[in-house]
Amino acid sequence: MTIQRAGTSLAVDIQQVGKRFKRHTDRRNSIKERLVRGRARKPEDFWAVRDVSLQIPKGSVYGLIGHNGSGKSTLLKMIGGIYRPTEGSIATDGRVAALIELGAGFHPDMTGRENINLNGSILGLPRKDIQAVTEEIIEFSGLGDFINDPVKHYSSGMYVRLGFSVAVHMKPDVLVVDEVLAVGDEEFQRKCFDHLYALRRSGRTIIVVSHGLGQLEALCDEIAWLEHGELQTAGAPTETIAAYLKRVNSDEAARNPQIGAVRDDVGDPRAGDQSIRVRSAKIVDLDGQPMGHAETGTTFQISLEITARESVLGPNVRIALQHESGPLVTMVSNHRVGTDFGIVEGEFTIDVALVGNPLLPGRYRVHVDVFDFSGSKLLDSWNDAVEFPVRSQSGEIGQGFVQLPVEFRLS
Amino acid sequence: MLTDLYTRRALIFAFANRDFATRYRSSILGWSWSLIQPLATLVIFAAVFSLVFRIKAPELGNGGGSSYAAFLFTGLVTWNLFSGLLTLSMTQLKSSGELLKKVQFPAWAPVLGASIVQMIQVLLELGVLVIMFLFLRNISWTWSLALPILVGMALFAQGVGLVLSIINARFGDVMYIVAVVLGALYFLTPVLYPISMVDGQNELLSWVVKLNPVSWYVEGMHDAMYSLVAPPALVVVGLLIGGFLTFWAGFAIFNRWSEDIGEML
Repeated sequence: MTIQRAGTSLAVDIQQVGKRFKRHTDRRNSIKERLVRGRARKPEDFWAVRDVSLQIPKGSVYGLIGHNGSGKSTLLKMIGGIYRPTEGSIATDGRVAALIELGAGFHPDMTGRENINLNGSILGLPRKDIQAVTEEIIEFSGLGDFINDPVKHYSSGMYVRLGFSVAVHMKPDVLVVDEVLAVGDEEFQRKCFDHLYALRRSGRTIIVVSHGLGQLEALCDEIAWLEHGELQTAGAPTETIAAYLKRVNSDEAARNPQIGAVRDDVGDPRAGDQSIRVRSAKIVDLDGQPMGHAETGTTFQISLEITARESVLGPNVRIALQHESGPLVTMVSNHRVGTDFGIVEGEFTIDVALVGNPLLPGRYRVHVDVFDFSGSKLLDSWNDAVEFPVRSQSGEIGQGFVQLPVEFRLS
Repeated sequence: MLTDLYTRRALIFAFANRDFATRYRSSILGWSWSLIQPLATLVIFAAVFSLVFRIKAPELGNGGGSSYAAFLFTGLVTWNLFSGLLTLSMTQLKSSGELLKKVQFPAWAPVLGASIVQMIQVLLELGVLVIMFLFLRNISWTWSLALPILVGMALFAQGVGLVLSIINARFGDVMYIVAVVLGALYFLTPVLYPISMVDGQNELLSWVVKLNPVSWYVEGMHDAMYSLVAPPALVVVGLLIGGFLTFWAGFAIFNRWSEDIGEML
């Protein structure tokens, strides 16, 4: 059967699929309990997946993202035929192999070679074909002579390597992969990815669930985002991941409005003559609303509430930004950018705007020092005034602490 | 529906192969156990029931006296086929549970695979039985009728076993109930005694023994292998068809009830 979508043939066509589970908080599993206490009170229904429609084109790599419990795995199991949808339909073109867990079908007492046969049969491959790929599997897994040992003597790394090798060599038309990409060492992982790319080149479809957003962005042609069993959005990887991260960030900000981004003075002794004292430091947006974190590329402000006991002429406020791993990223001060506050007295606020925030994701600590107009006399020094995280909307965008405004030209 | 059995035969045999390869893997005597066990049972039972309870076996078919041990073993082979398939089938779904939750494949495959191994075991016992009868010179063409009868027995047991396995996946206590019932059924089947002994006894008991389907198969085997009388052709065909229908019904029920096996276990 070939399913069409705007000219491309589909490997999997998911139409308004829903899966309802009964919640057995009080499950009466034994006959005696049923007889003695009657049928369980009507169990609460719970929709793990609801009204999801997805068209997965042939030969594509399709990613599923979402929080734990968002219904990704349930959807995968339905695609893999392990669960039946409660409503809607799933049409698949060709043989589906689901890798919900690596080496799930291995028998500990059997040798690696025997297990290849067994697992191949379970995945639905004819004996002839299994024999044809056995040597390839052994080669790929890198197990060598261990292949003739019972798998119960394998290390966990050997075990998953064999599991992965078996599954990807069974030449399924649709390969469903649940969070199993992080297997083996660096070298084996690279082999896995190369193999997945090769599978895609040969026109096979791969559906993958992972929390490694960077990995998915690199691997997938399209990504769908599920939340509470419902489809949020589906489409190009970068946009979908950005939308997902934005939600994750705002959820976290809503949950923890205070996360280290506001700090009040506790009156501890500080260096400086204390004619001026910084009373609080917080991270705010351009409207002065407090923020739990800053975003790379988006202007934010460090807002300082200051009290001057006497009138002070042209103070120099210096801010040092330190990365959580130790290095000082930069120091900025109003004198250096040519701003003079004139004479200040009483209570006032100084907002320091980091225009187009160049800081890359990570945690940063803010140290505040206030000097007199000459810059030689220390008035107040607040170490670790405030600490704030920087997040990025588009996944990982580079390494280091800052992004520099660069341009590349070809001539 | 039954054609699925043929198309996925490689899978059934892969499971059979797994069970075959791992059955006695960590034991020194290996497959010898599959003969030592039933033979030990035979010796103990033969001693207890012929010497202590003084049960008399009927005349051998060749007219050369009687042998309680041979009589008992004929029944035991048949009974072991029945109870072995039933018990093994019943626990298969549970022990394959983790796999069924993660990979999609027909749930009956591990059940039938395990049964194949059990049938090989019974074939070995049957070999011993044949040697016993050769030794006793109790030979006749009626032996050939044992085959359809045993096939009928296997199909019957498998049909019941499939249904019980799916119920057991849902209600864990079925296993224990069946163990008790099998224990009782063992004595309500003419394995340890000739069926003539219940005649003229308690009316109810005699009826139960005679209505017990396993008795029909065991009696068929007694006739064909021990007494060397051919049961009426209709009976042999009936036993075979009855077995097949039970299997077919059990298989249909199993398929229907196992659709959501992945989340049931």
